[in-house]
Amino acid sequence: MSIATKIDVAGPLKKATGELQALAITTETEIGAVARTFEGLAGYADTIMLLAAAIVECVENESVRSVLPKVQALGAAARQFMEERLQATAGILETVTKEVNVLGELSRVTQGQAAIAIETKALSVLTNIEVAHLGDVGAGFQYLARELAGFSKSVTDDIQELARHTEVRRTAIEDTRRVLSDELPCLRESVARIEVDLANALATVESSLTQLSGAPAQFRSGVEDIARQIAGAVTAIQTHDITRQQIEHVQEGFALIAAGMCGDEYSSDGDDQALPRAYAGLTIQMYQLRTIKETVANWASQIRTCMGGILKVSASDMVGIGPMVLEQERNASSQLAQIERLERESQAYSERIQGTLGGLSSLMQLVGEHLQKSKSVRHRLQLLTFNSIIEASHLGTQAHVILAIAKSIKGVSADWGQITDQSGNAMQELMVLVKHANELMEAFSEAASEKLREAQVQTRTSLENLRTAAAFAAQQAQEMKVATGRMQDKIAKVGSTGDQLDACFDRFDVVLTEVEEVRRQLEMDDPGVKQRYDPDEMEQLFSASYTTEMEREVLRAALRGKALPVAQQTVAGNSVELF
Amino acid sequence: MRRILSVDDSTSIRQMVSFTLGKAGYEVVEAVDGKDGLDKAGAGKFDLIITDLNMPNMDGIQMMTAVRKLPGYAFTPILMLTTESQAEKKAAGRQAGATGWIVKPFNADQLITVIQKLVK
Repeated sequence: MSIATKIDVAGPLKKATGELQALAITTETEIGAVARTFEGLAGYADTIMLLAAAIVECVENESVRSVLPKVQALGAAARQFMEERLQATAGILETVTKEVNVLGELSRVTQGQAAIAIETKALSVLTNIEVAHLGDVGAGFQYLARELAGFSKSVTDDIQELARHTEVRRTAIEDTRRVLSDELPCLRESVARIEVDLANALATVESSLTQLSGAPAQFRSGVEDIARQIAGAVTAIQTHDITRQQIEHVQEGFALIAAGMCGDEYSSDGDDQALPRAYAGLTIQMYQLRTIKETVANWASQIRTCMGGILKVSASDMVGIGPMVLEQERNASSQLAQIERLERESQAYSERIQGTLGGLSSLMQLVGEHLQKSKSVRHRLQLLTFNSIIEASHLGTQAHVILAIAKSIKGVSADWGQITDQSGNAMQELMVLVKHANELMEAFSEAASEKLREAQVQTRTSLENLRTAAAFAAQQAQEMKVATGRMQDKIAKVGSTGDQLDACFDRFDVVLTEVEEVRRQLEMDDPGVKQRYDPDEMEQLFSASYTTEMEREVLRAALRGKALPVAQQTVAGNSVELF
Repeated sequence: MRRILSVDDSTSIRQMVSFTLGKAGYEVVEAVDGKDGLDKAGAGKFDLIITDLNMPNMDGIQMMTAVRKLPGYAFTPILMLTTESQAEKKAAGRQAGATGWIVKPFNADQLITVIQKLVK
């Protein structure tokens, strides 16, 4: 081997060592910056997770979870409220229809009573004539004429009042029937609409809640994800230190090779072993450099992946929770407003019905008074009949006309009795109607509305809580967006650092090319050089400073001409071995 | 708050140890080599020491041997954090008084779990 060859080896190796030194300094600086950026990133990730945790806590809060059952209860109460009113309205319509029939009966009663009044008036006149005809003998029957006249007038007055009231009532009932007939279809429509609207509202609330219920699990998954990414980034940044040491060992290897080619260390072996040692050493360093290059590519890629993963998890669906909760609140509030409107309309409507049924009670009272009077008249007629027959019998044949009148009065009394019974029947029917109507009106009472009002109050309170939760979630989401924006800025900086690292490690290829050239020159000088080194001796010489198992494996592969071991990438890092 | 001394000539390793253990609630003090580590251990009181093996000025084994002689450090947990994985090196570390051995890179979660057990 020529002296020129020795110089050619030292020079390039010194240059390669310098390149690696510059590379190490640059990467040390860049990795420091990456580590600081990562720490900031992890800090923002913590902030975002805290904000997300607050949103999750808000979502899991009783006030949000209770919205659905409250809206369901409100729906059930509203449904029951409307259905009861619907049934009551139908019942009231039936009641007033029956009342029309009763009014018909009362008309017939009053007509019958009017005919009797006329007949008794005629009887009164006849009696007066006969009394005048009988002279002093007939003086005792004067009272009969007066009674009959008084009876006739009293009945006439009474009938007129009843007839007038009945007519007014008939008009009112017709009006009420028309209103109720129109109202019923509207009520049915309202009930049907409530069913549909409530079903839609519940479906929306349920859908939102289903999405919301996934938030805690999503959050926990996000927390685990971020922890994994952070652990991956921590591992990758540490791996730089390992490659730093490996580069130092390569530099030491170059120095050893250069010393072997230039110095007296191997003088006892002469040039025979210097070249094979140099060749073996260069081969080892090339293998080490390729492995280091692959390792660096791995950890640089891992850093990018982990930091990107942190950003991806942080910009999560949590941000959308606030608007979702608000949407839920809006739907439910809209239903509440609709139900409140229905309740107000129902209140106005029930006041009208109340007025109608008040008229029924008045009618019943009037008919009751009329009935009492009728019974009293019946009694009086019976007495009159009896007295007139007795008096007539005292007079003997002279009172045959009075006797005939008495018999007529008896007939009138019987007819009156029948009509009074009819009035009694009408009265009974009215009492049944009034009782039924009062029962129906229970559906419109304050007590019946109580359940709906209670449900409204609870839903209103629940919605206020929901609104507060939505506002809180939106505020947290806004802060999350700010933190995510800052993270993105930091990630961008890492991106530029990554590019610089890539540029640095491109210089590996330059060093590899230089070293390969030197090795090729050695082979040209001595074609059999690769067969003349002792692998075990070389292993002992060059592995003295090695600290990692990977370096030893690579060295063995290089010395025995085997394939490069695959650079292992550990994402999670190694465990502690306790003694 | 529990105090931990982190000794390593690599800035990035010290950064990652501080970041990991700081998040877990520990106060971490850094030393750049064995001598710096020994000085700081003597100046303060630490509940646990994590140290590299191969360092300039004073390596990890030498530092650990000296620290064990300081008052109050006879039973302080000392973990070796190193690229070395050979059995002989581990044996030497154990002989010198190491409580545990970690081959770089460390698993952050597992490190915290172990330290929580060692430092109660």
